[in-house]
Amino acid sequence: MSDLEQFLRGRIWLREHTPFPKEQVDAAIANGDITIKQGISTDKQCMRCLEQSPLKIIPFDCAKCEATCYYCRQCLQMRRISSCTELLVWRNPSSWQPALPSFDWQGKLTDKQKRASEEVAESIALRRPHLVYAVCGAGKTELLFPGIHEALQKGQRVCLAAPRTDVVLELSPRLRAAFPATVTHTLYGGSPEQEGLAQLVIATTHQLYRFEEAFDVVIVDEADAFPYTVDPALACAVEKARKPGAPIIYVSATPTKRLLKTIPNRSEIFSRYHGFPLPVPVYRPLWGYKKQLAAGKVPEKLKKWLQEKVNAGEPFLLFLPTIQLIDETVQLFKEVVPGIEAVHAEDPGRKEKVMQLREQKVPGLVCSTILERGITIANVQIAIVGADEALFDHAALIQISGRAGRSADFPDGEVVFFHNGISLEMDRARQLIRSYNKGGDRR
Amino acid sequence: MNCLLCDLPLSQIPSWRGLFLNELPQTICIGCRKGFELIGGDVCRYCSRAGIDMCEECVQWEKTAYAGCITSGKCLFTYNKAMQDYIYQFKFLQDVVLARVFAPELHELLKRRKGTAVVPIPLHPERLKNRTFAQVEALLHEARIPFQTLLEKTEAVQGQKSREQRLTAERLFSWNGQPVPKRIVLVDDLYTTGTTMRHAAKVLKDAGAESVELLSLVRS
Repeated sequence: MSDLEQFLRGRIWLREHTPFPKEQVDAAIANGDITIKQGISTDKQCMRCLEQSPLKIIPFDCAKCEATCYYCRQCLQMRRISSCTELLVWRNPSSWQPALPSFDWQGKLTDKQKRASEEVAESIALRRPHLVYAVCGAGKTELLFPGIHEALQKGQRVCLAAPRTDVVLELSPRLRAAFPATVTHTLYGGSPEQEGLAQLVIATTHQLYRFEEAFDVVIVDEADAFPYTVDPALACAVEKARKPGAPIIYVSATPTKRLLKTIPNRSEIFSRYHGFPLPVPVYRPLWGYKKQLAAGKVPEKLKKWLQEKVNAGEPFLLFLPTIQLIDETVQLFKEVVPGIEAVHAEDPGRKEKVMQLREQKVPGLVCSTILERGITIANVQIAIVGADEALFDHAALIQISGRAGRSADFPDGEVVFFHNGISLEMDRARQLIRSYNKGGDRR
Repeated sequence: MNCLLCDLPLSQIPSWRGLFLNELPQTICIGCRKGFELIGGDVCRYCSRAGIDMCEECVQWEKTAYAGCITSGKCLFTYNKAMQDYIYQFKFLQDVVLARVFAPELHELLKRRKGTAVVPIPLHPERLKNRTFAQVEALLHEARIPFQTLLEKTEAVQGQKSREQRLTAERLFSWNGQPVPKRIVLVDDLYTTGTTMRHAAKVLKDAGAESVELLSLVRS
């Protein structure tokens, strides 16, 4: 198989930015291996991300083709698509026998994981959609391994997609370790170029814009996370990236109502892999905390909680509702707990700071909801300040609570909701966590 | 309508003033607007660099053949992080619609100037084909400011050059032969070393302009 085919197969790629000599691309177009698609179709839809809203498809006077062109703002960050740009699609796939996967995973699944795992593998084999609804710390990733292995053995292309780069970076080494013989690509905004034709792709849902009818299996992890849930274009991207009729497996600890309604095949795990119950959040009022913080004072109750954790030598995460509040108060918290660090979405040192917490080099982190998912820190203690704020819906509260007690050595961390009045979402989160501990979602 | 930069919903409050005076609408949210920093205080009279009267760079320019070709000048914004991101998205990612972001400011500064021609700094034709739009013309167009093209870019690359190469460049522009009005405002998006502006101003001056004023959106 030519290196050009390896690169383009399953993809939809901007002609101007194809990393191959022009002559090689032209020759492949001439002999029909590559077909060209106009970037924006005549009915004004972006052919890469399928966007068609007039708010996103913008007309302008194009100096290149000297006519009115349209361009797409939805997928602009991946280099602009306009009416006169050309997208390349590989049309004549040659026969391909990927290396047989070696499955190198020594872990053991619990009975519940095993059952779910078999159900997932069955849905993949029968090419039907499936939902894995499993609590935080149930061991969702591991239970996907056997199903992925089976698909790889059949020579199928598998994609594991997640909405956030952090989650992709966390999943990637685990999958690469489990399938060491398989060519695997990890794709996210700014990822390095990777060689060969990947049989296994781990990518942010955004990166799927660049694929078309590529995958025999698509797994969407954290299927309820931002921005996947608020941006319908991303669900479109998943649809476009799979081969017609290929199964989509959704994985979530807090599935949306829509997912629960639309996916009939479902595996549920409401206990953690180590068998201990999920920590149930405790409510603690913190009246007028905003005023006190604004006046340069950490409320007494919160101060006491922080000092308790420091004295016990337990790492902690303190969630605040806004980045602005984090910036304004981090200095105050540093006076109470020297060495404490702040983390939010725009912080380039995020990964290092989380690592430092894991290695106990910092006592704790003040953070935004960016850390609600995908991180595991042994014996971590959790507090949310302003748990009644609208930003903390029940899914966010459950995810945050799910950071505690994940390791078998420390199965019961503390989770405190400091609030200024109990919200319905707080109650919903606590009720759901309690019902998981009793063995099910009783919605 | 959503903010052109962060895509959050914009709260537009329609006003009688806006309706009757035909003011251009804001296209970005207050939060994004705050990210941009207007140049203020004591600045160089040619290039708006912080300082009193004239900056060191312009003092040097005034010792060369380009002395006296600029009457006065103004740059609007500093080249801070928000502006770098904006310029990247507008010029490099070719997000043409971002020309609207500074339309209200440019409109205020350039409206109702009788007897003065607004002249944009042009792109080289090859460069223009690659970028698909001329950014300065797009800015003026969105600001509803009529402009006149009097210049042609004769050399293709400027951005990739070192500072030394830029300062010693021979000839960057030529006059296209159209009648030259007495008073001119020369408009560019980004003022870096002043080479572009000085060269363009001199060509216009030599072609018969009496005064050449500079206006740049950004001072880097």
